[in-house]
Amino acid sequence: MDNNAKIKQVFCQALGIQPEQVTDDLTYNTIEQWDSTAHMILVAELEDSFDVMLDTDDIIDMSTVGKAKEILAKYDIQF
Amino acid sequence: MIKVSHSFQGPVITGFQVTLRPVAQNDLSQLRDWRNSDTVRQQMLSTDFISEEQQHAWFKKIQRDDSQQHWVVEYKGQAIGATNIKARFHGDSVNTAKTLEPGLYIGHPDYQGNVIAFAPTLALYDYCFAHLSVESFFAVVKAENKAALKYNQQLGYQVINQSDLIDLRLQKEGFERHTELLRRLLSRSPRKGQ
Repeated sequence: MDNNAKIKQVFCQALGIQPEQVTDDLTYNTIEQWDSTAHMILVAELEDSFDVMLDTDDIIDMSTVGKAKEILAKYDIQF
Repeated sequence: MIKVSHSFQGPVITGFQVTLRPVAQNDLSQLRDWRNSDTVRQQMLSTDFISEEQQHAWFKKIQRDDSQQHWVVEYKGQAIGATNIKARFHGDSVNTAKTLEPGLYIGHPDYQGNVIAFAPTLALYDYCFAHLSVESFFAVVKAENKAALKYNQQLGYQVINQSDLIDLRLQKEGFERHTELLRRLLSRSPRKGQ
């Protein structure tokens, strides 16, 4: 599975949403499913799936799917 | 974990990546702009615009009113919002009150609807439970303000009365239990190089 498919799967599992909802523009707090509780689950699942440890600034900055990809790219995860 | 230092105007609280410092005269213009913005004003119980004169009278009052304390929220050295506590019952000071009513808004548009909005509350409530006499927080939100209701429930608030306004109560045990993961995520070390 490539990293784009992998991140889509993580968002679907963590937020309980459909794959077609996972676009780069999808933004924290704009859908009911992506609240702070889900955000915390999302962070944990991204860390597990990509074997990284995000810092607090990343967790705060990760406000969209696109931003999540940018942040993971800093950890040498390519999309 | 929070750090508390003391300034002439009151306690300065640092933790969870933010600093809460007492409101100063030179914050007033920025705070009024945020408070009068549609995004913030419409969530307030009073949606009236605040004039410069009203705000100066308010600021003068809070200087000598020990029943309330107001802070500016800073993230990375930049003001992003404001928070406050008020004694729930007349005659109490914030230092001795058993019940406090909190207030918060994030005025900076870059941080509205961001998970950082939990940081000032974690820092403030930790300070209140550890350094003041408070046993519970009491919050009132408009029934249509679903975001504020959800925000408070994620902190562990329980609904105790529901009409056009919703009354919520929070005690220390519930707060700590509900915010365990959130406080862990917001307490990680800052990015290298900062």
